[in-house]
Amino acid sequence: MAAAESPSAALRRRDLCSRGIRLAGKMRADVVDLLDAYVEQQGLDASASVAAVEGVPLAAVERWDEQTGTQRLLENLAAYRAFRALLAQMLEEQREQLGEADAGLGRALAAVLLQVSAFAYHLEELLRLESRGIPGEEGDEEEDGPPPPPRLSLFERKLRGLGVLRELAQWAVRSVRDLRQLAKPSPATGTAPGLAESP
Amino acid sequence: MFSRWNWVACGFYLLLNICSPDASGGLVQSCGHIIPESPVLALGSNFTALCILNESCLDFGNIYASQIIWKIKNRLVPKEQYREINRTVSSVTFNDTSSLATPLTCNILADGQIEQNIYGITVTVGLAPEKPKNLSCIVHQVSRFTYVMTCTWNPGRHTFLDTQFRLKYRWPEAVFPDCIPKDVNNSCTVNDIQFFVNTEIWVEATNALGKAESDRLVVDPIDIVKPLSPQNVSITSGLLPTVLQLSWENWISDAVMTLKFNIRYRIAGETNWMEVPPEDTASPRTSFSIQGLRPYTEYVFSIRCMKEDGAGYWSDWSEEKTGVTIEDQPSKGPPIWRIIDTSQSPACWTVHLIWKALKPYEANGVILQYELTVRDKSSLSSPVKKYNVTGTNHTSQLREGTYEVTLIARNSVGPSPPSVLLIPASNSKAPVRNLRTLPKHDKLWVGWTAPNNYVLKYVIEWCLVSSSSDCMIEWQIAQGDVQGIDLKGIKPFKCYLITVYPLYADGQGSGQSVKAYLKQDRPSKGPTVQTKKVGKAEAVLTWNHLTVEEQNGFIRNYTILYKTIDGNETVVTVDPSKTEYTLSSLTSDTLYTVRMMASTDNGSRTGPDFTFTTQKFGKGEIEAIVVPVCLAFLLIVLLGVLFCFNKRDLIKKHIWPIVPDPSKSNIAQWSPQVPAKHNISSKDQMYPEGSFTDVSVVEIEADDKKSFSEQDLKPFDLLKKEKSTSEGHSSGIGGSSCMSSPRQSVSDSDEGETTQNTSSTVQYSTVVLNGYRDQTPVQVFSRSESTQPLLDSEERSDDHAGGADSTAQRQQYFRQNGGQDETNTDRPCFERTKQITHANEGDFVGFVQLQISGQSSQPLGLGMEKNTQEAALSNVLQTCTEGQTVRPETVEENPLSVDEMPKSYLPQTVRQGGYMPQ
Repeated sequence: MAAAESPSAALRRRDLCSRGIRLAGKMRADVVDLLDAYVEQQGLDASASVAAVEGVPLAAVERWDEQTGTQRLLENLAAYRAFRALLAQMLEEQREQLGEADAGLGRALAAVLLQVSAFAYHLEELLRLESRGIPGEEGDEEEDGPPPPPRLSLFERKLRGLGVLRELAQWAVRSVRDLRQLAKPSPATGTAPGLAESP
Repeated sequence: MFSRWNWVACGFYLLLNICSPDASGGLVQSCGHIIPESPVLALGSNFTALCILNESCLDFGNIYASQIIWKIKNRLVPKEQYREINRTVSSVTFNDTSSLATPLTCNILADGQIEQNIYGITVTVGLAPEKPKNLSCIVHQVSRFTYVMTCTWNPGRHTFLDTQFRLKYRWPEAVFPDCIPKDVNNSCTVNDIQFFVNTEIWVEATNALGKAESDRLVVDPIDIVKPLSPQNVSITSGLLPTVLQLSWENWISDAVMTLKFNIRYRIAGETNWMEVPPEDTASPRTSFSIQGLRPYTEYVFSIRCMKEDGAGYWSDWSEEKTGVTIEDQPSKGPPIWRIIDTSQSPACWTVHLIWKALKPYEANGVILQYELTVRDKSSLSSPVKKYNVTGTNHTSQLREGTYEVTLIARNSVGPSPPSVLLIPASNSKAPVRNLRTLPKHDKLWVGWTAPNNYVLKYVIEWCLVSSSSDCMIEWQIAQGDVQGIDLKGIKPFKCYLITVYPLYADGQGSGQSVKAYLKQDRPSKGPTVQTKKVGKAEAVLTWNHLTVEEQNGFIRNYTILYKTIDGNETVVTVDPSKTEYTLSSLTSDTLYTVRMMASTDNGSRTGPDFTFTTQKFGKGEIEAIVVPVCLAFLLIVLLGVLFCFNKRDLIKKHIWPIVPDPSKSNIAQWSPQVPAKHNISSKDQMYPEGSFTDVSVVEIEADDKKSFSEQDLKPFDLLKKEKSTSEGHSSGIGGSSCMSSPRQSVSDSDEGETTQNTSSTVQYSTVVLNGYRDQTPVQVFSRSESTQPLLDSEERSDDHAGGADSTAQRQQYFRQNGGQDETNTDRPCFERTKQITHANEGDFVGFVQLQISGQSSQPLGLGMEKNTQEAALSNVLQTCTEGQTVRPETVEENPLSVDEMPKSYLPQTVRQGGYMPQ
């Protein structure tokens, strides 16, 4: 795949990877900061355990190093699209709940949402460079749209938000690894990078 | 008539149309309208408007399109621009909209005269927006997590219209809300900026005439970040005296952006910054060790950062932080010099050792003390003297000789290298040559030519020359390989004495001196000139030199300017070493104004004016005039005297006419046998008590002047002749006195003056106041040797006598030395008194008194009784009237010695026992 790339495409790919890595890194840093603010603002315990959030693919995966680049990109794209929808929902709930009382948290959520969107755009661009079709979003595929989220209590919404942010932080770490893997010149073999290369 | 009513109806209809509600519910319904309604037009384009009349107005008001006129802001549009399209539509066309103004109105001329407005529109003229240019954006870090992006652009020309600018940005998959500038049209700030995604940014400008977009700027905002400068900068001293460690915190996490840095530093108090090589700080870090610093020096640090790859902008410099390096031992010994005072005795020196405190970068710490060692090189046996000094000078009493002085500065870390000064017994080595100075801005460069021998160092001494205080010596050491240094701290307009000594390894050269100014000015005052001596045509001017403080530079010359009040000024240039000058060729007896100007290279100053007047006469001129005049006068006097002496006979003859000899008169017979000699030894002898001698009185009737015939006067002539024969024997003064009396009696007009003139020199008669027996004594005058002036009593008597008689028509002249009473000589009788001394014949003293009738009283207050006098007068008067007979009144002969007896002519009729006035 790499051998078939034109120089400009390779450059573009490298640039996208590099930029994506930085974006994922910043996104993780921002999400970590947001988590602290969120826990404090929502009155939650930082050590509270949260069950897996429905609709969010888990970052932890077995045989990660055996994944192909395209597979990585597709999993990342699916995850971030899910995060985008969840964060948008969180942002809306946040505004409904607090109004303009805590604009800072809302701005931070909006910023993370933008970063998630931007990262999804990066992944889409990389998939285009891979000459792979971009899968349609779930909402596009289903004529009825996404199923309406179950009606949750306020506390459940808070816990769900905490779970989303934690998983996003995890995914940010994983995305950095995935993109670094993709940025290597010989990704065709699908050799997994060492853990030492983790950010 | 019909037409008039028709137009009235038409106007009424128009009014109704305007005021009545129309079908659409509006309050106003006009008779027409303009198309287009309130257009916005491009400047410079053409424009056509149509005015359409309502049909209803046509029918009722008889108004047609042909009657329409167009106006722009009350200004009629030329009819050439009209066009009647049909009976209800008129158009107007403007080729250039720049001639348009608001409002454009459609009017109608009713009946050709009454102008009625139909409709009006507002015309807006402007320009379409230009394409915004030079779009650029910068992302400012506001806080740790907050970034804002500010984009600026060039909005282009002014459009004259309301033009809206919008900053647009988007991701490929997302569009963000536009950023609309507030109050400006060339910049906008976006708050929710996101990094690591290429963002497309552009500006859109829109107004009524169009829309324009700038070029698209595609940039990842992370590449245009201007980060905040590092915070919490701190400095710590390292183990080495030349190292300081700088630490800081970054505002941006590495996850967002890795940074590179610039570090600058300077010595506290200085202004020039030094910078750490950028390549040393091109990687992310939070600390850096700066090396190569000076020990014990305070440094100021500042740091800035930017994105590591160079994309974006440098942050501002951080706030300045200071740090001090630790101490090190002094890097060099203090410069040392000496001043030797030999004023007490040439063999015994008072040596002032002076040295300069090390500069901070040489001292490398706080100097605790100086260790001074003085070694006598001329005597090896002499002990080495050591001193520990905390100041920067030391004075020692040393015998004349060669000494080696060593100085060490010590701080808490250690000693400095020693400084060595050799003090030779004499400065016998070669001096520097060609010592010169040159001002360089605020420094004075001193240069010299090195001697032929190798010189270790040069010592440059300088001091401010002052007239009021001693020269305070400053000094500096220069290395032996230089031939000039800059002296700092030199004040302008001050005179400095600069001396350069070469120091050799084995001795010292003699000093060469030069005076110099850093900057010269004109003198602060001019010389005060005054005259030392003023002559007829020259004047010696003198002045004092200006003090060195007043000179402000080298006095190149003095200029003397002098002039008369109305004359041209004359200028004389004088050598500056002079203090005196002689002005010559001056005009005598003229007022001159002189002033003096002192000049330096940079100007002149004139002193106060001084005026003087040249003398009228030169030296010796007065003497040359006065002395000859005096001599000539004396010569003339002498010649006159000689002449008079030679011609005395002639003069005497001319002045004193010969008095007739009474003895030869025909009035009486004078006896030649009368004892010619009267040896009178004294007054008593001369005038025995109660007797007179040799007194003759001639009384002449004044009223009968004519009765004096020549014959009668013969006796006088005779007397004159006799006098002429005896004048050679007359004694000087007595003779003149005797001779003067007749003269005075003859010339009445000259009487007073002459008498007065002679009164001081003529001897006076002696007054004998003895009465005769029991009779009242009669005052008689005789010759006196006295030169005393007349007594007051006598003068008063004169006065009294003068005022006593005015009725008798007689005048009596009693002729004496002080004859007077010319007021009483209205009708003078001739009177002569003559006394002639015949030396050959013996000394006769004669007293002749001629008393003229009419004289009322005895002048001079004589003691004669009035009645007696009157009796005598009556006798005389009688005699005069009888035929000029003179009757001697009193003649008393008194034998005198030949020597002493005054000579007198006595009438022969007077004998012993004859008539005597009593």
